[in-house]
Amino acid sequence: MLLQLKNIFKWVQQGGQRVFLLKDINLEVEEGEFISIMGPSGSGKSTLLNVIGMLDTFDEGEYDFLSESVHTLKEKYRSNLYKEYIGFVFQSYHLLDDLTVEENLEMPLLYKKIKSSERKALVADMLDRFNIVGKKDLFPTQLSGGQQQLVGVARALIGKPKLILADEPTGNLNSQQSEEIMALFKKLNEEDGVTIIQVTHSEKNAEYGSRIINLLDGRKI
Amino acid sequence: MLLNHLKLSFRNLWKNRTLSFLNLLGLSIGIGSVLTLMFSVYAYYVADSMIPEQEHIYYLKTHLNDGNDYNEVVYPLLDKIKSTSPEVEAGTHLHGWGDVWLEAGNKEFQNTTAYADPEFFKVFRLPLKYGDHNTAFKEKYSIVLTDKVSKQLFGEENPVGKSLKAADTLNLTITGVLEPISPYSSFRLGVLLPNTLLKDNSNFKQQTNWSNSFSPIFLKLNPETDIALFEKKVDKLVQENYADPTVISRMEVMPHSEVRMDSIPVVEIIIAGNIATSFFVLLLVLVNLLNLNTSTMFRRTKDIAVRKILGGNNKGVITQFCLENGILVLFSIIISSALFFGFLLPKMNDVFGADFGEINFSLKNDYPVILGAIALGVLVTLVVGILPTLRFVSLPVSQGIKGKIDSAKGSFILRNSFIILQFSIAILFICIAIILNSQIGFMKKADLGFERDHVIVGNIDLDYKNMDAANSSFKVLLNDLEANPYVTQVSTSQSVPSDYYFNYTTFYDPNTEADVRFRRSYTDDGYLKTLQIPLVEGRDFDRDFDNGEETPVIINRSAMEAFGWTSIKGKRLKFKNSDFVGNPIVGVMKDFHYQDLQNAVEPLVHYYRDEENLAKHRYLTVRVVDGKEKEIKNIIAAAFTKIATRKNYAQSDLGDKVSGQYRLIDGMLKTVNVVALLTIFISCLGMFGLISFMAKRRIKEIGIRKVLGAGIFKIVVLLSKDYIILVGIGALIAFPIAWYMMSAWLGSFAYSVSIQWWMFALAGCIAFFITAFTLGIQAIKSAMANPVKSLRTE
Repeated sequence: MLLQLKNIFKWVQQGGQRVFLLKDINLEVEEGEFISIMGPSGSGKSTLLNVIGMLDTFDEGEYDFLSESVHTLKEKYRSNLYKEYIGFVFQSYHLLDDLTVEENLEMPLLYKKIKSSERKALVADMLDRFNIVGKKDLFPTQLSGGQQQLVGVARALIGKPKLILADEPTGNLNSQQSEEIMALFKKLNEEDGVTIIQVTHSEKNAEYGSRIINLLDGRKI
Repeated sequence: MLLNHLKLSFRNLWKNRTLSFLNLLGLSIGIGSVLTLMFSVYAYYVADSMIPEQEHIYYLKTHLNDGNDYNEVVYPLLDKIKSTSPEVEAGTHLHGWGDVWLEAGNKEFQNTTAYADPEFFKVFRLPLKYGDHNTAFKEKYSIVLTDKVSKQLFGEENPVGKSLKAADTLNLTITGVLEPISPYSSFRLGVLLPNTLLKDNSNFKQQTNWSNSFSPIFLKLNPETDIALFEKKVDKLVQENYADPTVISRMEVMPHSEVRMDSIPVVEIIIAGNIATSFFVLLLVLVNLLNLNTSTMFRRTKDIAVRKILGGNNKGVITQFCLENGILVLFSIIISSALFFGFLLPKMNDVFGADFGEINFSLKNDYPVILGAIALGVLVTLVVGILPTLRFVSLPVSQGIKGKIDSAKGSFILRNSFIILQFSIAILFICIAIILNSQIGFMKKADLGFERDHVIVGNIDLDYKNMDAANSSFKVLLNDLEANPYVTQVSTSQSVPSDYYFNYTTFYDPNTEADVRFRRSYTDDGYLKTLQIPLVEGRDFDRDFDNGEETPVIINRSAMEAFGWTSIKGKRLKFKNSDFVGNPIVGVMKDFHYQDLQNAVEPLVHYYRDEENLAKHRYLTVRVVDGKEKEIKNIIAAAFTKIATRKNYAQSDLGDKVSGQYRLIDGMLKTVNVVALLTIFISCLGMFGLISFMAKRRIKEIGIRKVLGAGIFKIVVLLSKDYIILVGIGALIAFPIAWYMMSAWLGSFAYSVSIQWWMFALAGCIAFFITAFTLGIQAIKSAMANPVKSLRTE
């Protein structure tokens, strides 16, 4: 088992009242799964994803990741954990605008203190695999949205994570670009065995996954 | 990793190049000025450090009953003190007695000449380049040169043992050369002679009595001396021995470190001003960078969050930010050094050099300044690099990634206080500049009690080679001038306004029992007419019957009032306890400002001395018909080329000479003007950065407002309103401080302008318009942006 959420609650105080963002979420994810989280706006999809990604905390419940209990871990270990095992893909790509494509890919490796020669090899490999060798010296703003998201996925993958979390990865893309990205996810999941959890609005995109989780008002339905 | 940081830093700086450039500009000018100001302060503080054991050296200050004080004492006092006080290890006089002309080979030169006792080097063990402290003043006919004079005469050679001819007659042997002395030092020396030389001088002998104070004395005291006790001892000696001790309230034993402040009181103000100014400028620069960096940080929250998700930590973020600022600071230090050496230092020497001497930068002696600049740079970098990041690195990633930061009130209060602080400082400087301007304008234009226009002043104190020949040629010139139709009046005198000697003499009136301290000068009978100084009572000098046995005098009105007289009929100017019947007072002139307006008009007496005596007069003054100044100047200059002199004849207009008294204050004004401009410039830079950032943050709001129908003007007002209020608050803080400071400063002038409300209003308006202009540019730009575009980007 990759991760397990038990009775997760998350709330904010608003006008003296608790407003629940997540309510009693139970979820088990096995390695190699491809899960789509769906639901209307404000249903807590992104919050759930952030909790899974350890970018956000929760108020109640238990969370085990690779049999480590995340809720008891200190911030530092937690961030080490997600740096090691999780890759993130965002709706608005969140590439670093000041860096070229190549440097963007290199960034996570730098933080992992991987040697220069090895870094170069990994980056070259990734550029090759995604067919973006020709774009390596361009800056994100010089690319189309689809290409930017391609770099985003490549960046998420370069650290060889076990889990990829994608928050509406195709939200800003046109239909053709979306299909390409989704096909890529499918391929990664099937050929490389990477676990993927994506948040999406689109039924069509959700179909790519092996399991669909529906949320409404912070509750799993 | 570091290389990566460096690369990114350059890219970031380049990306925001407008902002980076503004930052660089503000920093460079700021650091450059701080460097210059601090260098002059540093030069001032280390200038006397070459005096060993300065802490044991003291001098005497005489306080008078009328509140005045001076550092000179009567000549025999030193010997008296030395013979009665075992705590005095050594003591010396140090005074001038006319600057001697010296001859070395075929070079003739004159330099500031000081006379000191043979014990001089026991008191001041000034480092000698050549020669020996113990033998330097052993012989009567010896002379010690400063390094500068030695270089002028002998180049790099060791001149010890060579001889110089002084005043055409004396052969002096060079016994020592001093190490270079900073111009800021308390020693203003050219050459140093033993005062044993003067003991043969009859004129000098006459002056060395118990009533004439003309030389300061310096004492080296035993470290265990109780200063208060010693002071009492000196006081007693003074009361017992002085010819007229009643005018003296007390003697003060002053540490030698005070002597510089004492001799030029403005120095204190200038040094304090320099320190305060550099502190304020530095503060401004810091606040500015902090403000701009905080703004940049807002834009970078997303960036930081992404980095954290990718595995970065807080340290990396801070390093990156410090590096960016470090690069900026480094470049600005380089630019400011160039500014300092190429522009600011020469400029400062221009402004203050005439009064304090020029200072130069030498790596050997002044390396602490460079180290200081580097330390300053590191400090600035750390502060502006770390402070703004602290709030952002602790932000949760999940919020940062959305580009959201809780715009906590705290930071706005902080930033607003920064802006208020900046503008308070800027407006304070503008106020100071305005008040300084009006005071100087007032002093230059004030009614001085004499007519300064169309008067030529020639310096005739020229060291004539043949006095008799010179006198007869001069007589011819005077006759020519008097015959010239364009010349209305001619006069010769010892002094002219702006250059009266500070020789005080106390006179006494047995009837009113009043002691009055006078300043003295000698004039011929044309002086009052030339300067058009009206008489209040009596008559002017007249050559036809004033050349008799008795020398008549004319006193000024203040003098008459000080004696408590209503008329001078039958009065004479007498000394206390003296058999001398006194000089007959023939007239009273109106009080005129013979010195600058910083000083009140003190009692003054003019002694009559006929005009033909070149040796006894220093100035020739000629009143000419309007427009003919140049012609007459040419005639006089031509006449002097035929007279053999050592110095060159120089002449100027009286008006210029009078204005020249304010050269130092003028210099201060220039500095303040520059600083005022600088502070407002730096503040506006910060403001510019802030508003462009704020406009960016509120881009959506602006878009919505425009869609809802707001006009450009409304939006400009919306964006600038808050800042204008802040500037207003800054002004309210600055005004009372400026008022307090400047009233204190104006108080040091005997005659000053009163501070008017419009001065503050003007300062406020200047600040307001500059701010409004800066804000306007950016605000209009944002207001004009297409709302559709801005709404879509969000």
